[in-house]
Amino acid sequence: MNGTLFSQLATLGSSVVLLFGIVLLCRRSLHAYIEAFRWQSLVLAALIVAVGHFGRVPELYVVAVVFFALKGVFIPRYLERLAKRVGAERESQPYVNITSSLVIAALLVLLAYAVMRPVVLASQLPTRGGLPLAVGLIFIGLFILISRRKALTQIVGFLVLENGIALLAVLGSFGIPLIVELGVFLDLMMGFLVMQVFVYHIHGTFESIDVEQLNQLRH
Amino acid sequence: MQFVLLLFPSLLSALVAYLVRPYRVAVGWANACLSLVPLGAALAIAGSILSGNEALVFGPNDLLRADALSALLMTCVAAVATLALFFSPGLGGETLYDSAQLRRYHIFVNLFIFAMLLAVAANNVGIMWIAVEATTIFSAMIIPLALTKASVEASWKYILISSVGITLAFVGTVLAYFDFVALSGRAENALNWPVLLAAAPGLHPEVVRIAFVFILIGFGTKAGIAPMHTWLPDAHSEAPSSLSAMMSGVLLAVALYAITRWKVVVDAALGPAFSNQMLLLLGVFSVLVAAFSLVIQRNYKRMLAYSSIEHTGLICIGLGLGPLGVFAAFLHLACHTAAKSMLFILSGEVLHRYHSPDMERVSGLLKVMPWTGGLFMLGILAVVGLPPFGLFISEFALIRAGFADGRPVLMAAVLALIAVGFVALLRHSNRMLYGTPPREVIMGDIRGWRIAPLLVSMSVLLVLGLTLPAPLESLLHQVVKVVAK
Repeated sequence: MNGTLFSQLATLGSSVVLLFGIVLLCRRSLHAYIEAFRWQSLVLAALIVAVGHFGRVPELYVVAVVFFALKGVFIPRYLERLAKRVGAERESQPYVNITSSLVIAALLVLLAYAVMRPVVLASQLPTRGGLPLAVGLIFIGLFILISRRKALTQIVGFLVLENGIALLAVLGSFGIPLIVELGVFLDLMMGFLVMQVFVYHIHGTFESIDVEQLNQLRH
Repeated sequence: MQFVLLLFPSLLSALVAYLVRPYRVAVGWANACLSLVPLGAALAIAGSILSGNEALVFGPNDLLRADALSALLMTCVAAVATLALFFSPGLGGETLYDSAQLRRYHIFVNLFIFAMLLAVAANNVGIMWIAVEATTIFSAMIIPLALTKASVEASWKYILISSVGITLAFVGTVLAYFDFVALSGRAENALNWPVLLAAAPGLHPEVVRIAFVFILIGFGTKAGIAPMHTWLPDAHSEAPSSLSAMMSGVLLAVALYAITRWKVVVDAALGPAFSNQMLLLLGVFSVLVAAFSLVIQRNYKRMLAYSSIEHTGLICIGLGLGPLGVFAAFLHLACHTAAKSMLFILSGEVLHRYHSPDMERVSGLLKVMPWTGGLFMLGILAVVGLPPFGLFISEFALIRAGFADGRPVLMAAVLALIAVGFVALLRHSNRMLYGTPPREVIMGDIRGWRIAPLLVSMSVLLVLGLTLPAPLESLLHQVVKVVAK
């Protein structure tokens, strides 16, 4: 009974997390991007708690708290501030328009199911239903990254990609060893801080954060 | 103890650079001298392994571990770090940077060195991943030391592409880990390399195969393997030359090291055929892309960067050719490290003198800067694989390994591509070395002690070309034992 509840909860939770990734694709304003990312992180933090409870891995509570603080509170707030400082530009003309983006997202999720089929078949975990969704989210994060042209939205794409991996790790193995997990958070935070420094640099030297202008270097 | 001496000095240097404000020349000197300690520690570790220890471990849960493979890489990283720090901006003399930029440089360059050393000393493949990711972050901070459009663009591409790539490598790590958990339960040391290796034969082949594809793409991005190499020429050409020397000389090698670690685990689970095929495919493709990109280069630092991609490709090919190939690959890695770090340092001197990275604007180098020009010429002769330099021996060994492995057609193709790169590099550098110097360029050269470290690099290349010293040979044999059983 507990087992089925757990697996249903895991699949439901990962679907919601994936859904926020797709919601991102049909938004234009930076604010909406950040908001969707914040909600995705909050749901994911809750899911980590649930997996910790049902899987009996108390370490995951620690991970969930750090995750919540970093991705649910700190990073979204910082992103908002960054957007205000560089003048929140709308993602008005992404390289791929919204309708095609949604179709591609659907295809990417299908692809994720195909890629993860052997893994799901080999697995005995109650959470295995969510694994393809996690890989789907990773693909969608990659897609946001290559199809959007503002430096800030690219950062959000990268963060979504990171969330996809966090989801994969928590579903697949109920969390990686704590020391590695903490190191990953440290890297993520430093990486994020460096990226936001670069948004200022790009804004300062190019007077816009449209990466379309980054085309000086060829061959 | 050796591990403490290996890792601690770079952290200390970063701390000193952080605390002394504004930047002073003494800090640069202190950091450069301090970097000799990790070099000594790396050599001590290598010595201890040569004297019969299979591996040294250190710390709780065997956090750090060094076998022959790590010892080789540690020595390369520490040696190039020393060379680069002695040629860093801010050691006296005229400089293009202000004191805030120099301070930033010295903080992050030492953290960068620390991350590379940690990556090759870590036992846990998760920690190894964290360290490799950290190298990206730290080096991206100092690529645009002077904020220009080109350098900001280069570092944005670098940090974005490399972070994404390396994130994919993490997917692979996680996939392998959860297959391990399914097999033998949760364990704090499950990501320790020997533990993983011991469990490998029981892992699900399908899962391991997917994991390796992610890992190869991920760390391959960092290693500059085509088609994930697009950030590399930009970043290497825009970075300060001492940083380019490290990125090209050892950062690529560290990423290849990570791939090699995983290859051993994957081979234990699947047999070597799968990983060998993947490495051969990507290796040949990298050599192909690099050879033809070399032909059209106009910027000499980009030319050196593409040459690095070519050599990364060759090392991948070697890794995919069985024990003989592995031997050749790591000999090649060591020689390339010596040659390319020297060339990038020299290119920095050329840039400083001619104020242009454009090959058209550089001529008469041998007249203007006899030492720099001469060493640059010898370095180019070395990287194109001419005798009597080390890379000739390693490329020869590599091709021979290919024939021994029964792949004559592939090797013929690789030879043809090497020839394309050979012609392109020689033609470009001839134009730089000879001819009449532009009128506005002032004669002058590196002087005094600064020649000595470069002569050391040169003599390493020469010695490796004439003979294979016994300690290195036995270290390489031990590496082969670790990598290809």
